[in-house]
Order: sequence, then structure tokens, then C-alpha cells
Amino acid sequence: MADKVICVTSGKGGVGKSTVTANVATALAMKGYKVVAIDADIGLRNLDLVLGLENRIVYDIVHVVEGVVPPEKALVKDKRTKNLYLLPAAQTKDKSAVKPEDLVKIVEELRDKFDFIFIDSPAGIEEGFKTAVTPADTIIVVANPEMASIRDADRVVGLCEAMQKPEPKLVINRLDPKKVARGDMLDVEDVLQVLSLDLLGVVPEDRNMVSYINRGEPAVLFEDSIAGKELRNIAERLLGKEIPIPKWTYSESFLDKLKKLFGSE
Amino acid sequence: MGLMDRIRDAFGRPPAKEVAKKRLQLILKYDRAGLPPNAVEAVKEAILKALEEFPFIDTSGVNIHITESENTKGKIEIEVPVRNG
Repeated sequence: MADKVICVTSGKGGVGKSTVTANVATALAMKGYKVVAIDADIGLRNLDLVLGLENRIVYDIVHVVEGVVPPEKALVKDKRTKNLYLLPAAQTKDKSAVKPEDLVKIVEELRDKFDFIFIDSPAGIEEGFKTAVTPADTIIVVANPEMASIRDADRVVGLCEAMQKPEPKLVINRLDPKKVARGDMLDVEDVLQVLSLDLLGVVPEDRNMVSYINRGEPAVLFEDSIAGKELRNIAERLLGKEIPIPKWTYSESFLDKLKKLFGSE
Repeated sequence: MGLMDRIRDAFGRPPAKEVAKKRLQLILKYDRAGLPPNAVEAVKEAILKALEEFPFIDTSGVNIHITESENTKGKIEIEVPVRNG
């Protein structure tokens, strides 16, 4: 499978890398694929929280690099989804504790045992980012429809090109259809005109997301989550299924326009 | 957004997302070329100064812009029109 080792990155922090990683990995595991998610954000570990696994961590990726345990021994089995494993980041070390060649070696050792290997990249474009991207054969750039995020995503795309990696695929996260309809937020077409990348999915703003994360339960587990549905569709598209991507635009009614004029939601 | 802003919007101020798109397109042009945002203006000024001594050049028609380039990060193209007659 060409899309086996997938790095999720963004440049800017806080756009939803870990959320996308945890959810898409969970969705693929729910379909029966064997999946491991590697948290490459050394020193700022977060992926364990999104999956609700923070209390089950014994070893982390730095223990693996230091040779304390083999990679498989450090894997945390997900408590809800069969076939899903987490390789946690270290919380105490810094980014230099894992070098690109270390991560390449870990990925090689896990490659034959898994159908998908996700790498959750740290924010930024420094060595941690380069380490996370190096072993990947597919790169997903997560961006919010917002100026700073898009500018940073474009930088990441340029750096991936310089590293001779395949062109990243784009996930637009936290698109708010109401703000788009009002003309306040960039819409999907605007983002694509600016970034010109292949679009892998659009995840709408979901007011329940904060509670999913607070509970450590990925949104894809919930049938009624609007973000969860699109995150499941991203997993399907990675499997090669062609599922149309909703553009989340609707035209305003006269009443909407009136409300907009007088400032109520 | 206050009521006045909304009324202004209703009377044709471009929507925020259009402003954002235009700004981004310009910023990314410079980012991709690895140039600071005032680079083109600075180069243009220097070129115009250098061209002043040539009477056959129409300095008012000098055109300068950034384009993409295959071999380098970016390319600054300068058009220098020769004066008619």
C-alpha cells in the first residue's frame, strides 16, 4: 500500500493535527485495519489525551530510541478500538531526543506489522517537523480556513518539496459554514485557489468536539457527530474510496440577511 | 461587528473572506519567492534611478513583478519600454 506511512503536519500549532490523527487512525482501525499512531511531538505530548490513553503509558518513543525497549513493547493498546495502538511521545525530553534516522528505524521495524502508521508531527518547521516527515510516504497538511494557518501550510508544502517528498494532501479543519455563508470566513474554493493542493477532506466546526477531547473519546466513534462523519470519510478516501467532499456553503435566506444586519446569530 | 459595520457591508464593502484571499495571494507570492514584502518596490526604485539617464526609455511604463521560476525560488521580471519616436 502506497499510503502506509502517513505524517500529519500543519506548520501552525493548534489547528487540529492530533485530533485529525487520532480520529482518522481510529476510523481505519474500526474498519479492521491494524493501525499505529506515533506521537512525534516530543516534550509536548498530546495524542494520548485525544485517545484517552494518558494513564496507560509505561514506555515512550525516547525509551525506544535509547534501546530500553523494542518499539512493540512501548505500544499502548487502545482501550476502545481493537487494532489501534499508540506510540507515545516523551513528555520530559526535547525534540532533539529523536532524530530523523531514529524515527525511520522505528517505522521500519513496525512497517510489516501494521496496515497504517500515522505520525503526528509537532507544530513548527524545525527539526521536529523534519523528523516527523522523513519516514512518511504520504503527508497530510491540516489547515484552518484562516490566514496564519494557510500561510504556514504553504511554507510546509514548500519544505516538503525541498525534502523531495510527495506533495501533501490538504485537510481543511474547523470550517464554520455559518461564517462562510456570511462571507466572513474563507470557503473551500478560496483555500484551494490559494494553496492549490489535492483536497482530502473538509471537517466542519463541531461544537461537541471540545467535549469529545475532554473525555478522550474520538469523534469518529459517534454516529451523530458532524465532524466525526467527515473524519470517517477522510479514512475512506485514504483507502481509495471516492466520496464527494461537501463544500459547506449554503445561500443565506432573506431572514439570515436581516439577522446579519442586526447582529444576532 | 457592530451595526454600522453590517450596514456598510450591506452597501458593498467587500466581504472579509475576499479581503483575506487577496491578502493571502499577495503574501504567498512573496513567501514563495523568499522575498520581503517591499522587495519589488525597492528594486523598482533602484531600476528607475538607473534608467533616468537614458532618454530613449519611457520610465513611466516600467513594469515589474514577481513570477514563478523553474530553477530558482522566484523571478523578478522587469519590462522596460523604449519611448516612441
